Amino acid sequence: MKAMDKQIIAFCCEHSAYAAADLAGKLRLHYPENVLVIRVPCAGRIDVIHILKALEKGAAAVLVMGCEDGACHHITGNTRAKERVKYCNMLLKEIDLDGRRVEMFNLSPNAPHKFVKAVNEVVNTIRQLGR
Amino acid sequence: MEPRIGVFLCNCGGALNNIDFEAAAKEVSKLPGVARVEFSSSLCFEEGKQRMVSCIRGDNLDRVVVAACSPNFQEPGFQEVIERAGLNRYLLSMANIREQCSWAHTGDVTAKAVKLVKMAVNKVRLLQPLQTKEVPVSREVLVVGGGFSGVSVAVQLARVGFSVTLLEEGKVLGAGMSELESFYGFDAGQVINGAEMDERIEILTSCPVLEVTGRVGNFTIRISKDGQEIVRKYGAVVVASGYQTKLTSGSEAKSGRGIVSQEEFCRMLGDSGLARQPKTVGFLFDFSDESSRFSTLATLNNALTAKTKWGSEVYVFYRSVKVDSQGTERLYREARDCGVVFVKCEAPPSITAENGRVKVKARDVFAGEDVVLACDVLVGEELYLPAEGTETLSSLLNIRRDSRGFFQDENVHIYPVASERRGIFFVGECRGDLGRPRVLADISSVVAEVHALLSSGKMRVETEKVKADPQKCVACLTCIRVCPHGAIQLVRADGGKEVAGISDAACFACGVCAGICPAKAIAFQGYRDEEILAQIEAI
Amino acid sequence: MSLENKNVLVVGSGVSGLSAALELANAGTDVYLVEKGAVVGGVAASFCCKATDICSRCSVCVVPDKIKQALSHPQIRLFTRSTIKEVSGEVGSFRVKVLRQPQYVDEERCIACGLCAQVCPTEPKAIYPPLAGATPFSYVLDKGGCLRFKGEKCSLCKDSCPTQAIEFDIKPKEQELKVGAIIVATGFDVFDARLKGSLGYGRYPNVLTGLDLERVFSREGYLRLPPSGREPGRIAFIQCVGSRDEGHGYCSQVCCKYAMKLAGLIKYQNPDSQITIFYIDLQSAGKGFAQFYQEYKKMIRFIRGVPVEVSQVVPGELEVKFEDISQGKVCREVFDLVVLSVGISPGKDSWDLARILGINLADDGFFGTKDSLASNETNVDGIFVAGTCQGPKDIPDSVAHGMAAAAKAIQVLAGVASHKTR
Repeated sequence: MKAMDKQIIAFCCEHSAYAAADLAGKLRLHYPENVLVIRVPCAGRIDVIHILKALEKGAAAVLVMGCEDGACHHITGNTRAKERVKYCNMLLKEIDLDGRRVEMFNLSPNAPHKFVKAVNEVVNTIRQLGR
Repeated sequence: MEPRIGVFLCNCGGALNNIDFEAAAKEVSKLPGVARVEFSSSLCFEEGKQRMVSCIRGDNLDRVVVAACSPNFQEPGFQEVIERAGLNRYLLSMANIREQCSWAHTGDVTAKAVKLVKMAVNKVRLLQPLQTKEVPVSREVLVVGGGFSGVSVAVQLARVGFSVTLLEEGKVLGAGMSELESFYGFDAGQVINGAEMDERIEILTSCPVLEVTGRVGNFTIRISKDGQEIVRKYGAVVVASGYQTKLTSGSEAKSGRGIVSQEEFCRMLGDSGLARQPKTVGFLFDFSDESSRFSTLATLNNALTAKTKWGSEVYVFYRSVKVDSQGTERLYREARDCGVVFVKCEAPPSITAENGRVKVKARDVFAGEDVVLACDVLVGEELYLPAEGTETLSSLLNIRRDSRGFFQDENVHIYPVASERRGIFFVGECRGDLGRPRVLADISSVVAEVHALLSSGKMRVETEKVKADPQKCVACLTCIRVCPHGAIQLVRADGGKEVAGISDAACFACGVCAGICPAKAIAFQGYRDEEILAQIEAI
Repeated sequence: MSLENKNVLVVGSGVSGLSAALELANAGTDVYLVEKGAVVGGVAASFCCKATDICSRCSVCVVPDKIKQALSHPQIRLFTRSTIKEVSGEVGSFRVKVLRQPQYVDEERCIACGLCAQVCPTEPKAIYPPLAGATPFSYVLDKGGCLRFKGEKCSLCKDSCPTQAIEFDIKPKEQELKVGAIIVATGFDVFDARLKGSLGYGRYPNVLTGLDLERVFSREGYLRLPPSGREPGRIAFIQCVGSRDEGHGYCSQVCCKYAMKLAGLIKYQNPDSQITIFYIDLQSAGKGFAQFYQEYKKMIRFIRGVPVEVSQVVPGELEVKFEDISQGKVCREVFDLVVLSVGISPGKDSWDLARILGINLADDGFFGTKDSLASNETNVDGIFVAGTCQGPKDIPDSVAHGMAAAAKAIQVLAGVASHKTR
């Protein structure tokens, strides 16, 4: 399967990234359709196992998207998520997978361009990696 | 028993015309557990909703997937519909085939739509029903701090029918209030009297807080009173612990008399028996980057009073006047019109003692020259700091402070008066340098929030939406420490084992605890590991 | 103390009005939320997020949250395109006549699919999409450009609408509401920068107001100058445009901070940009700002002295003439973009509304309050003011003021119980 056909999973916090993705749709800002969004109440709900399982299932990349640093609706949730993403990057390195396959993005609900930019960035990275 | 899942596909009146619904429906009907696939062009209108209800009843569906617009707006609406049909409202999952599919892409949206539905079907298969219930909440409120904000909020709360305990660590209410009277424009005696005369307000002085446990609607507070411990229960806690000021190191009276604080100067102004009225008064403010609205207001008021009452020569050395509060610009102009001289500087002036007076040397930005002034009294620059005991109080309450140590994290979502813990509020200058108009607004805002929270005497909660399984929990305390909302405490399960107890009333359903529990003991209904992994399985 | 039968009218659905409405609704009161425009959220709904690596506390993201909560609250009834025509009665029993302008596109049925705009034959389109983030997110039919309203028999949009949301034969409708209290939260208008003609607004395309800049970021996500589309390198912010001057004896409170935060955002996106802020007194006080101020001092050049003239020497380049007070001389410098930090002025409709409600205006043009230091009570019992219509405020202060107004309305409706004395 070509890299472009592989799925990219985006765990999106309902307060920020999910709302930004909705707004991107409303404004018809297009991005690749191999991005699948899983809605969560806070990026801090996401655990390492979810990220790894997604990769195991064949996702080319996993995005964890939450509120801006300092603006988490649950105060520290996005910080927790960032720590777990860093831990995943470390694990991936140990098994020779490119750390850029798992990335954390912070944005606010009225930033649809930021959502689209983040998604496009990761899709490009995957294209470069070619697998 | 095999679930009977109903999948309802909506094409929003034909607008989602880049999705091949026929092909999608065909794919979706093959999914295990799907008993019925229904197509509609307007699920969110009454006609569509009624059809959904009759489908659910007619086909004995027990779980529902709605593939349409964003759950961020329509989830509550569709939850209501399935409830109408006799199902528990939590047995619903939505697939966003509009904003995040049809409208967002130009490629194969049908394939993606099918995938999104598959994810939702996988999830809905595992969802558990949830109940809601009403828990009683106490209509007693604890106000910590007997300054202007604390006393005012106590009085307003009592007026709308709450019983209030006004707790003051010190010996009297309103210590230091009378000095501020003159420029804050209130009658301290009247304010305090309002509280003392109100039967619904209990005033406890010299009573520090020892311990706070419990949750919103049912906080248990241990207080030390006359050497004894008393235990009380409150529905909400309002913190009004105030602030303190401190002369900056540059302003400290190193060489003896001459440099005073604003408070001391206020006392001088009010002292009718003052031996000698100063002929020349100087003020310093805003040379520290942590300058405050308070010091601008204090300076302007005191400068004006010194001018009008004593007829002194008044000079103010400053960098920027903080006029961003209602009325301050006007006061600034009034002071200038009255003859107060404002000397704008970039660098802090140098201060020395000379012949019993204070010599100030500063570079006037407008004149481009040095100004040298010998003052009888110099009111020094003050830093605006959290009150003593703020750190202790914050750990007792298990709530965060901001980067300067004032109460309330700087997170904009809890502004103006909330904390990250439900039922604990902040009011007044303990939050940071606000200025009087904001303090007044805070006081009433807290009343509105407490009223909304407690006035009915009960609170509707989702029962055990997030729960630590007592069998799996090892009481490692991780979730207790990590919960951003202070909603978890150690409790005794049946059988006596100590486990993490998540309060339904205090929980914000964020899932941070579920994400961190090393024993995977916490089940967050709707976002359990199996529910998330089931969505991943579908990709 | 039951509030069930004591409704409250909130006029204006900006962040202050929404906050007031939510507090009231959460306390069990029924709320009528009347908004003169087609969308809710007020001016702040068009602002952008100014986060760099961390949140800059601009509080704009509070607005979508409030909108979402208010629009889904069962006790808040929203009337868009509606204005207050007449008020009679007194506290506890006001009668308010509300006039609702026709909504040719029913906001409850419109799903913003865009099919109508696709088939509309006019250019520019007489039916067009709402602004990014606008709520309700429904299309708008402009009577002025529409062929049907010019007498032609066109109904292409109506025929194409999949949800039958378009109706032409709608007349303005009047409705009477019975309420116990009224909260006025009608917001503000920005100072019209064209009134300071020498600063070039309206004449030079590269002179923008702070509000324009917010909208550019909100719409595009990035800063590009029309018409070249290139990123500006040298940017000047001019503070106190329409504040602290002859006509406005007050500080608008928000401009210094929004200028610094916008500067921070521009610098984050374009590290090579050079940003200068011209100011009189820098308003940097307040909760949580000190940490940012240190950073801003490093990345922005602050010059004390507000420019008097902006001129275009070469197209695309602006020359700013100012007095650098610390050096004591007049200077000229060239910039690619000049941003005028315009202040908060009283709403243009305030005068009319004050007349209809019988409430006073203060001498600066904002609604007057009983207490000289910003409370919510007006000279009429039962009518309160909230937010920037009473005076300049930032978003958190507007929220607090709205909540405070709600609290006062609740107290008044419950009948302030005479407290028992010992």
